Amino acid sequence: MKPRENSLLPLEDAREAALFFVVGALCFLAALAALSAKSTYGAARAWTAEVEGEFTVSLNGADATASAEAAKLLAKVEGVETARAFTDAEINALLEPNFGQSGLPSDLPVPRLIAVTAEKGTDDLGPRLSQALHDGGYDAAVDAHSEWAGDVRHMLSVSRIAALSIVALLSATAIAVIAFATHAALLARRDIVDVLHIAGARDRFIAGLFERRFWLLGLRAGTVGALVALASVAVLIALGRSGAERTGLLPQLSLDFPDLAVLVVTPVIAGLAARIAAGITVMRALRTVM
Amino acid sequence: MTQLRPDMFEEAAVRLDSVSLRYDSSEEILSGIDLVLKPGSFSFLTGASGAGKSSLLKLLYLAQSPTRGEVSLFGRPTSRLSRDQLSALRRRVGVVFQEFRLLGHLTAYENVVLPLRVMGRKETQYRRDVEELLTWVGLGERLHKRPETLSGGEQQRVAIARAVVTQPSLLIADEPTGNVDPDMAARLMRLFYELNKRLGTTVIIATHDLGLIRQIDAPVYRLANGLLVQESGEAAPAARRRTDPMRAMP
Repeated sequence: MKPRENSLLPLEDAREAALFFVVGALCFLAALAALSAKSTYGAARAWTAEVEGEFTVSLNGADATASAEAAKLLAKVEGVETARAFTDAEINALLEPNFGQSGLPSDLPVPRLIAVTAEKGTDDLGPRLSQALHDGGYDAAVDAHSEWAGDVRHMLSVSRIAALSIVALLSATAIAVIAFATHAALLARRDIVDVLHIAGARDRFIAGLFERRFWLLGLRAGTVGALVALASVAVLIALGRSGAERTGLLPQLSLDFPDLAVLVVTPVIAGLAARIAAGITVMRALRTVM
Repeated sequence: MTQLRPDMFEEAAVRLDSVSLRYDSSEEILSGIDLVLKPGSFSFLTGASGAGKSSLLKLLYLAQSPTRGEVSLFGRPTSRLSRDQLSALRRRVGVVFQEFRLLGHLTAYENVVLPLRVMGRKETQYRRDVEELLTWVGLGERLHKRPETLSGGEQQRVAIARAVVTQPSLLIADEPTGNVDPDMAARLMRLFYELNKRLGTTVIIATHDLGLIRQIDAPVYRLANGLLVQESGEAAPAARRRTDPMRAMP
């Protein structure tokens, strides 16, 4: 059997092993940052969508019966999906962190609460609720959750932008590192490039050798980085689930289809970035010779 | 009356018109060189170390642009050619370097076929021819050896096989016998001579080995102080030698 022809470029050397590690690490961080950005975005959307249509109505000087009647009144307002009066037990549970399990003093005036949920796409429900309660003769205050959700939404958007910036920065760093490494590889293999050049190889042919080499390097390093990111996310999910009781407002890492797509795309982007960086670097270097 | 010969109408394989070369701000290494090598000719280039022989050859194998003047190969002024056209022209030129310049990670066979791979040829098209060529240069049993396991003479023969595998129109050799013993040097010269006679390849060999030069009746160009002077050959018939190199060589 005849031996297979070797590549015109020698096998990887120590420099490329180091580059493999750097690109892999950058891809790991980029994939993790992308997943975090996506989770933050998803959490922000889900959470804000949830609170956008929620209202809490406080009835002053009302008992349980009046509260139930007010809830019925509110349920008839256009755009209201549900209106439910809180039971004594629910109110006590809400106040428990402040007053303990012994319950409230009987002479303490506590407002009755009604939870109202708006139908999807309903705008400006708050004023209509206030008007309905006023018309019904209730002394009430309507609290739209969306008003105080704004700060949280703003914080989540900042977090999302920060995560996306980190992804962009890591990608740019990876490309710069690859370009630098390609240039170093080109200098180290100047003898090979010279021989190919003198043998009549077109610039495109020589660049193609380096492009293939770095495409594979980026692809493999990116795959390793993405797999490590996948493992890390799996661990974070497991840890998150074990202590999930008080993490409702925090972004939850998940592994749904878009997350897996991020992990699949990461090595491809790394490979393409490496290939393009290598191609540009080699073509530029070759243009300095005749 | 001058008798017309067919080669008078052929384009020169190599033509240098008032070519000068300097590196950066140094003094001119070559000054106003004029040279014409006819197709199928065999020439020597000689001169002391540092005289500029390698620099002149670099101009011929298009690794260097002249500072002034024009280098034409096969009738084409190279200063007007695109990079791709220059690459195409380089494929018609075989080069043998004094230091061989073999690629260490490739076998002898792979080094030889490198120019064919550059040209995009399929291995099925050339494998048998290349094996024959390597057998012809005495390396039939060492096809799959890497350069580091070959002797200096064997490496030089691999380099020569690589230079001629595409049957180039022009063969340039820079001190091709500088790293081999006298017997091997004579055998290599015989190879060049056979290539010239059998395939009509234009050959120019840079050497300072006067013993080798004396073995072949060919024009000798000497570089000194940046100037090129023809010492023997058509312009100096008195200096011609009539030795048959095929008889003189081992």
